[in-house]
Amino acid sequence: MSTVNQTPVTQAPVLKDQIREFIMENLAHAKGITSFSDDESLMESGVIDSLGIFRLVSFLEEELRVRVSDEEINAETLKSVNSIEQLVLSKKK
Amino acid sequence: MAYILQQLLTKSAALHPEKTAVWARGRSITYRELDERSNQLAHLLRRHGIKKGDRVGLYFPKCVESVISMLGVVKAGAVYVPLDPQAPPDRVGYIIGNCGIRALITKEDKRRGLDQSTLALLEFCVMTEEAAKSSNGTKIIPWSMLSEFPGTHAPKVVLTETDLAYILYTSGSTGRPKGVMLSHQNALTFVEWCAATFEITSEDRLSNHAPLHFDLSVFDVYNALEAGATVFLITEDLALFPSRLASFIETQEITVWYSVPSALTLLLLHANLNAEKLSRLRLILFAGEVFPMKYLRQLADLLPHVELQNLYGPTETNVCTYYEVERERLVSLEKLPIGIACENTEVFAVNDRDEIVTQPGGTGELYVRGPAVTYGYWADPEKTAKMVVPNRFQRNFEEKIYRTGDLVQLAEDGNYYFLGRRDSMIKSRGYRIELGEIESALLSHEAVKEAVAIAIPDDIVSNRIVAVIAAHDGITIKPSELQQHCGSRIPKYMIPELIEFRDSLPKTSTGKIDRVQLTQESIRAASQPASEAVSQ
Repeated sequence: MSTVNQTPVTQAPVLKDQIREFIMENLAHAKGITSFSDDESLMESGVIDSLGIFRLVSFLEEELRVRVSDEEINAETLKSVNSIEQLVLSKKK
Repeated sequence: MAYILQQLLTKSAALHPEKTAVWARGRSITYRELDERSNQLAHLLRRHGIKKGDRVGLYFPKCVESVISMLGVVKAGAVYVPLDPQAPPDRVGYIIGNCGIRALITKEDKRRGLDQSTLALLEFCVMTEEAAKSSNGTKIIPWSMLSEFPGTHAPKVVLTETDLAYILYTSGSTGRPKGVMLSHQNALTFVEWCAATFEITSEDRLSNHAPLHFDLSVFDVYNALEAGATVFLITEDLALFPSRLASFIETQEITVWYSVPSALTLLLLHANLNAEKLSRLRLILFAGEVFPMKYLRQLADLLPHVELQNLYGPTETNVCTYYEVERERLVSLEKLPIGIACENTEVFAVNDRDEIVTQPGGTGELYVRGPAVTYGYWADPEKTAKMVVPNRFQRNFEEKIYRTGDLVQLAEDGNYYFLGRRDSMIKSRGYRIELGEIESALLSHEAVKEAVAIAIPDDIVSNRIVAVIAAHDGITIKPSELQQHCGSRIPKYMIPELIEFRDSLPKTSTGKIDRVQLTQESIRAASQPASEAVSQ
């Protein structure tokens, strides 16, 4: 995907790519946004809105098979691609 | 009785000087501080040349300075224009040019994001945070300058209730937003009706969920000021996360909540609401879109102690009808009424024969008359003449009435029920969206030959938006490029989430694009599983 190619691909971990790709294809494009960095706040840049959050959570639960509690749906955990990756990794341990 | 908005503050500041007036982002100010700071801002604006009737833009994310600015501008005799801090610079620039804004209250990063051609229109910017000196022509005034001006009294300006207080921009069908002009009287008609009907007191704690460029916020801010209550401005970091938001409502002991139904639905579905935690909440008002009955029933069951009110009205009238939810009727009610007219407001439906509907079952376009009705749209006499029309149903004196464009039915129970729109305006998350504005953003891309924006009904947000496009021969373009192009012209909530490409769009027998067929096809496609749906 073009979105993956835009970031440095030195041993890019697969999980992070999956998360980034989902957000790009399903959330960012629909907001007219075509690039964001892995540590950028997705809320501040407007990539994620109130419905986007729940599409993201469904993706995490259905595609990545992690259970996300209502309390974990917050501004810190879901801030960026990096923090979302952290959440998933912590669940998979 | 107040006849201009700032008198609400003057009264409450005298009665409750040390009470918290506004809370936002962990900061708060008392009534005395709000009164003094807004007096100082008013003097500052006057000193820099702002005169009665001038427009001043407010362009920064919600914070306590938002309310200081609203009051400061009206105390200067001027008119404030809340600008969506999330909107693309092109749109903000259009609005600044359209209503002739010469002064902006803003933040450095917002100011820097504006186009050069927009900045050139501005004489000065007041910064809500300390900022470096301007590198271009615009004069920069730091917030700290306020302290140089007297806080004990406002500048002397002669104002009457018929003067403008603020302008709210909403989506326009011809591709550009239009500015709804609201006078002090327009606002106070609504505020005073709310104060009496909902018995807001100084003990109340009001939430402000809606953005400040959205008319729902008029209730939150001015009814708090009217009662000497506290308003809590809810910022994005809270608004987006239902579970956080629910604990905020609990810990801040919010007593009165007002938002679009979709915000309540998200709370309901994702925040484990319960009556015990929200025991202080006494009143929920909602407006801006149709509340799906199944979620309203759940909300009513979950919070049996809370009074629920459905408010209805376009920005041009703020709110013109209301319906107090009758819990005992909720099970049998298929559709929620928009109710009956607010006090000091008259509404009636006009049928196809141009007669006022008087019999139950009759349908027609809803008209509104009374002091809540706008004068019209800023610098757009044509559009104004179409919507704010002479009252042809009484000829004793000249007056204007507002055509809402909403089709309604008068029912047996005396309530009006919303049926739909006469035109292609839709609602999504309570935002008014003209499909024509989206189409014109799409068509402004050189690759696009034909474009239709379509609303797909949605349970939670009322409508989702998709588009069907025919590109010029031989040109290929990706949906994401078109979405990005839209993002530079229209707000994010208006960008189509899916764009489908066709060689050409179907036509009716008269040669027009067949919207009905396209809409039906898109709705069908949207109801199929994701893998089969027409997608990027």
